[in-house]
Amino acid sequence: MKTMASFLATVVLVSCTAFSGFAGDTIKVGLVDTYTGPATTFTNDVLDGFRLATERINAKGGVLGKKIEHVTRDDKFKPDIGLTMAKELILKENVDILMGTINSATALAVSDLCKKEKVPFLVTFSKSDKITGEKGHRYVFSLNENTEMAGRAAAKVLAAKPYVKYWIAGDDYEYGHAIANGVFDHLKSLNPKVQLLGQSWWKVGETDFTPYITQILAAKPDFVIVATGGAGMVNFQKAAQSTGFNRRVPFYQHTAIELSTLLPQGPNAPEGVYGTANYLFYYPDTKENRAFVDEFRKAYNRYPKSGALYGYMAAEFIAKSFEKAGKVDREKFIDAMEGMAIDSPVGPLTMRGCDHQVLLPVFFGVTKKSPQYEFLVAGDIVSVPAKEYMPSCEEIRKSRAK
Amino acid sequence: MGSLGNLASSGTLTQILVGLSRTTILFIVSSGLTLILGVLRIPNIAHGSLYMIGAFVACTVIQTLGGGMPAFWAALTVAPLAVAALGFVLERGFFSYLYDREHLMLLLLTFSFALILGDLVKIVWGAEYRSVTVPAFFQGSAELFGLPLPYYNLFLLLVGPVIAVFLWLVINRTRMGKIALAAAVDSEMVSAVGINVGWVFAFTFVLGCALAGLGGALIAPMVNISLGMDHSLIMEAFLIVIMGGLGNIWGALLGSLIFGLTQSLGILAWPQFGIVFPYLAVVVVLLFRPKGLLRSTW
Repeated sequence: MKTMASFLATVVLVSCTAFSGFAGDTIKVGLVDTYTGPATTFTNDVLDGFRLATERINAKGGVLGKKIEHVTRDDKFKPDIGLTMAKELILKENVDILMGTINSATALAVSDLCKKEKVPFLVTFSKSDKITGEKGHRYVFSLNENTEMAGRAAAKVLAAKPYVKYWIAGDDYEYGHAIANGVFDHLKSLNPKVQLLGQSWWKVGETDFTPYITQILAAKPDFVIVATGGAGMVNFQKAAQSTGFNRRVPFYQHTAIELSTLLPQGPNAPEGVYGTANYLFYYPDTKENRAFVDEFRKAYNRYPKSGALYGYMAAEFIAKSFEKAGKVDREKFIDAMEGMAIDSPVGPLTMRGCDHQVLLPVFFGVTKKSPQYEFLVAGDIVSVPAKEYMPSCEEIRKSRAK
Repeated sequence: MGSLGNLASSGTLTQILVGLSRTTILFIVSSGLTLILGVLRIPNIAHGSLYMIGAFVACTVIQTLGGGMPAFWAALTVAPLAVAALGFVLERGFFSYLYDREHLMLLLLTFSFALILGDLVKIVWGAEYRSVTVPAFFQGSAELFGLPLPYYNLFLLLVGPVIAVFLWLVINRTRMGKIALAAAVDSEMVSAVGINVGWVFAFTFVLGCALAGLGGALIAPMVNISLGMDHSLIMEAFLIVIMGGLGNIWGALLGSLIFGLTQSLGILAWPQFGIVFPYLAVVVVLLFRPKGLLRSTW
């Protein structure tokens, strides 16, 4: 009797796993991301951009006759929760593809899981260069710039400027140090004349920057690299505005020109701050970008931020790659993704085959007031194309071999 | 890197003033914490949440009234009152039934309130961070030896002593304050002479909460108002209270001064490791004065 029962149980279990993977007539995408807390400023745009694109794709009949559907899970910005959620999405929800997350530690943990489970994982927003660098593998793709790329792109522009004495200041955590080193190390190699005058590091979540700012001003650097992330972006800019820091010494902050940083400050954000971004809703002023902004505003009644581009790209890459693969098969999907090109609001984008890193332009600009908007925008925008700043496939191979 | 010679530079004075303005916020919040700790014997972990709520209320008031000076003063009035009202509900509804329990039970209750209030803020104000600007009157900065000192920091420098004097008057010159002082030492004796200790406790709790709300309202224009701003503050406030002597308001003032000044001067001396100095000061103080610098009421 006992053997019979266990036999039956095995049959049920086997048939469950056997059918669930193929049974659906939809393509199921699982999103693990932070949907509570301050990070939602960024992550909600990924979800909305993705939703917008999939709705359009589905309205046109979907991919291979199947609709793209998605399920979301909140990782609460915690890697352990994110990993549990990812497991659940793979094993219980039988998702074909995973997407997410804004937390690099979570992304790396989920990436490891996806390598074992052989599930494609499209990273949106995590900025650690390890994801497609030394920890990269066949199943992970990155749809945004990382600290290394942002650093190289910014260094490229800064190297042409006359500043010599640099100061580094930032949030004392991995992202802060990675961005700061990314910029300064490449700057130093492009322009050997530059020197590091000193550094200040404050704890993540620091609210009062005034003592740091007065100290940096007393040291009289030519230029300051400010490596803040998340809430620190706005906090630092507010302090810069009230102390007049930006008018006394030029400084650079990655994502300083992004809407997520400038919108909450309204017309009182500091002017003349250098920054880099992947996406600006008003630049490039092309037909494609305008159409995307209109569509996004109609659906959600706000301007799209970088996340919207990442979400949009993810849907496009998924649709076109399954189309090319000819069937819903994870391995064939990955083969199709390598080298895949899509059209996007910022122009044509390619998924590089060697490291699964999307090739996209980085916009370098400086904050300025705008007669058109209630908040500051980027001016003097320089578009740095991917080929000018990406680490080469050879460099990636070397870092992975370590 | 980082010579101590920096300390002798002209930036030192600016740095001291900046440190003192930070001290103001720390003192206002930690004096409320230590007041409640001294009289009611409640280690109120939810104090940071009340500070956060104060900041959110101030933000809402300023945005509703459309900015400007009147909106700013309104925020500085409404936020402490709103938080005080919340404190009143918490004290009468929950804490008043638990005064004879162990400290650990009270600690657990305040911890649960910290979680509940955090989620409440998320429900009411949403998870995205908010930002209000310093009113036009306080925008810009004064020049001091070629270094900027924001007007808002100067304003904070004035607020600090005002609050300190106000607290001194309330405690030493009002009947309620004197009873509270007596209740801190021996609440049984106070009730034995026919005074309703329950209401003294309620008054003290509400006053402490109002101070948390005021601290939140004062910091609001300087920072990003967000969930989680309670955590970093409550840590610092507890360190200050422990350093100064549990329940001693002047201890809180002394602790805030040490915390604020070691931070700003530490940054000047060694910017790369500026974070360390206030905590190092705590370690040194507790090594030599394990019960705090001033007399604890415990």
